[in-house]
This record gives sequence, structure tokens and C-alpha cells, in this order.
Amino acid sequence: MKRRRPGWFGRGDRLASGLAVSALALLAGFICLPLLSLVIWTVNEGAWRAMASQIALDALLLSAKTTAVTMAIIFIVGTPAAFLLARAQFPGKRLVNTLVDLPAVLPPSAAGIALLLAFGRMGLLGEHLRVLGIELSFTTAAVVMAELFVAAHFYVRQAAVGFAGIDRDVEEAAKVDGASRVAVFTKITLPLVYPALVAGAVTAWARALGEFGGTIIFAGSFQGVTQTMPLAIYGTLERDFDAAVALSVMVLGFSFAVILAARFFTGRAEERAGQD
Amino acid sequence: MLTVFAASSLTDAFVELEGMFEEQNTGIDVSPSFAGSSELLAQIQQGAPADVFASADEAKMDTALEEGLVAEPEIFARNRPVIIVPAADLGGIAEFRDLAEADAQMVLAEEAVPIARYAEEVLDNANGEYGEGFAQRVRDKVVSREANVRAAANRVALGEADATFVYKSDVTQDIRGRVQVVEIPEGLNVLATYPIATIEESQNPELARAWVGLVLSEEGQRVLENYNFEPVGYS
Repeated sequence: MKRRRPGWFGRGDRLASGLAVSALALLAGFICLPLLSLVIWTVNEGAWRAMASQIALDALLLSAKTTAVTMAIIFIVGTPAAFLLARAQFPGKRLVNTLVDLPAVLPPSAAGIALLLAFGRMGLLGEHLRVLGIELSFTTAAVVMAELFVAAHFYVRQAAVGFAGIDRDVEEAAKVDGASRVAVFTKITLPLVYPALVAGAVTAWARALGEFGGTIIFAGSFQGVTQTMPLAIYGTLERDFDAAVALSVMVLGFSFAVILAARFFTGRAEERAGQD
Repeated sequence: MLTVFAASSLTDAFVELEGMFEEQNTGIDVSPSFAGSSELLAQIQQGAPADVFASADEAKMDTALEEGLVAEPEIFARNRPVIIVPAADLGGIAEFRDLAEADAQMVLAEEAVPIARYAEEVLDNANGEYGEGFAQRVRDKVVSREANVRAAANRVALGEADATFVYKSDVTQDIRGRVQVVEIPEGLNVLATYPIATIEESQNPELARAWVGLVLSEEGQRVLENYNFEPVGYS
């Protein structure tokens, strides 16, 4: 018989671990069943046809495009912002921290109304932009803004935790050895924080992909311009249930592929870190 | 409890009727659910626990009837599509035919929503009057498809869009000050027809029939008339 950790033999412990296992099985089943139902439903011709329909392809392409732009902006702006939040001390830091967290707890529909009131045609800033000939509502840019608003937090927060968790001595040692600040950041800090950045990026991306309330309120819904996957699912639901199911399966497959890719990259990074 | 599924254009009239019904049937709580008729139909098809269905067009009700979801429907109101534009800024739309020429952003309800179908009919009629291409030029101005007619109306009331198709009854107290109505010429317009029916699976068939009765009664019809519906005469 294999050796077990001693804790496993205690009666209470066995009960507790039994409970934990059933809890996990329950959770997995609860998540699995609806997803399975989705896939099973698509085993009919109507659903396959719907996947190849223009509305589905337009929506998938738009979702891919807008979330890619959103993530690019989040990387460029979010990474230095997170670094600052993790390392620097400045007046009002707590307020800024809270501000960054706020969109995560705000219902997206409220975010949509807020965006509309700020950037809409009659909005606080939108009114002035309109004079300059810039109109944001009902454009693809508005979709990106809605995604950015709700998703940025998830990357910035995890990145900040990552930066804060790095042993400063390692960086200092490199500096003593004569490495420049930029070299320290790219050669030491970034590789160490990389898994946290990828994890944050995946959560943020997922949030951006799922964005619905803010988009439909601020950007509206129009095929090929503002109708992302979640909006297309909602829009086709009333007209063609098969098509709505097909779209849901497509978005499921898309998300699955991205998560697998992210796992692959973080896995590789951790392996490398392990070998060093 | 009585659950009434009603087209979103019926919101104000049915909320008033709700008060009346609850007064007449003490202890009964009426719970109305307003959405685009197509969304409501989809929910009923999926087995939503509704007792009454009031649709903004006959097509949705016919589908429900064919699928055996509702009892025999009755027409209870008619409504006239109009164009609304923001009160502050006409966007160059003073009359219906300006729609094709104006530099305007339009919104329209989702394709399957009755008002959007009526709008298509009106535009087809307009093609005959103002020449081929009129409808397409108007369609090209649509920047967003809204979930239902009230959502479309609000876009215009907020000034986010320059024009949309709504029913006359949608120009409610709430938005009257913020929009202007542009009538559709009589010869081009269509008349929206509202049927109502009890749901076959209803758990409260008697109450459901009582609701239909109230809507068709003299006082029910008067409420609808107050909200700019055209009554059909009472039973």
C-alpha cells in the first residue's frame, strides 16, 4: 500500500475531504451540463448553417478585432500603470486604487449609461467632441471603449499584485552589477512577472469578450460595426433560436482556444523559470 | 399572480390597467412583462410562465396560435406608426420625405420587432411614391438596431439618434417634451394591429380571461385611447 499523508486517516478529515470532493464534482457538473447541452443542440443542420451565416462571421470577426485592440491598449497603458500602483507611493494612491477597482463591481449596464453620458452625443465630453466632428456612439470605437472600461481592472490588478510580489533584492543585485533600469525591467522584472500578466490578460480578455450591457447601451447594435458576439446572440435569440445556440457554441470554442493558448504560454514560462 | 406579456409599446396603458385590475380583483398581483413582441414570443415558445400575451402585430400572434401556445386571439387596439426626431435639433427632418436626404443617424428596432416590419412596409410604399431607392437611402442611415420600440424612442429622446419609427402611442408624457413627431403621409402609412390572447398553459385561466375582458371593456378601451391607441370598440 502506498504511503499516505497522515492527515488522510483522521475521521473528520476524511469527511471533510469527502465533502470537498463532492463540492468540486457538483461545481464541475453544474458548469459542464449547460455547456454540454449547448454542444449537443448544435448537432443539427440548422445550427451548422447558422455558424457559417454572415451575421455570425461578422460578429465573431468584430469580437476578435475589438478585444484585440482592447487588449493592446490594456497592455500598453495597463502595464506601466500597474507598475506604478505596485511600486510608487504618491498622494491619492488609495483613491486611484479604488477607482481602478470600481468598474469591476459596477454592473456593465450602469457603465454603459455612464459612458453614454460622458462620450455620447449629448455627453459631458461628447458634446464638445461633436463640435470637432467626432462622434463616438454607434461606432466600433465605442465598443472598444466599453470593453476597455469594464476589462482594464482585471489586468491592472493582477499585474500590480505580480509586480508587488517580486523580490526587490534580485533587481537591486542586477543594478549593482551595472545593468541599466530598462535592462533590469526587461531582463529581470518582466520574466518574473510574466505569468501574472498572462493570467490578468486572460481574465481581462474574457471580460471584454463577454461585454454586453455597456456595449448595447453606449455603442448600440449593428451588424459588422457594433454587434459583437454577445449582442448577436441576444439579437438572434428572438428570431432564430438555432442560430443563437450556434453563436454561443462558436464563442465557447473561441474562448476555449484562447484559454488553452494562454495556458500553453504560462506553462512554458513557468517551466523556464523552474529550470533557471 | 397573473403574468401579462405585452409588447413594449403597451407599457403605459397596461400599467394603468394593472392598477384597475388589482383594484377589481383584491389580493391578485398582476406582473406585466414588457419587451419586443418577438422576444416575448420566443420566451413563450421556451415555456415562460405567462398567462396572457398581447402582441404588437398579428404575425407573432399567428405563430403562437399555429404552435398551439395561445387560445383564439382578439384584436384590442390599433396604432399608427410615426417618425420622431429630437425636439432640440431637427437634423433636417421636417417632413417624412426628408428622411432619405437628411444628414441623420437613424435607429430602428431589431428586424423581428413589429415596428421594424411596419417601417419596412412604409418604406416600400414610399418607394412607389418617391421613386426607387428611397427606402434604401433611409436604411443606409440606420446605425443601430434596438431591442424594442421604447429603446429606439429613448435614443431619439436622449438626442443620441436623429430619427426613428415609433407608434403614436410611444410619444408618452415622459418624452413628449424632448421629441417632435413627424407624421407619415396617410397614403403611405400602415395601421398596426394589436391582438391579445390567453396562454394555453396558463395556471390561472380564469384570471387571464378576466384580464382580456378588462382590456376589451369600455373602461379598458378608454385607457388605451388616452394613450393614443385607436380603440376597436368595446364588447
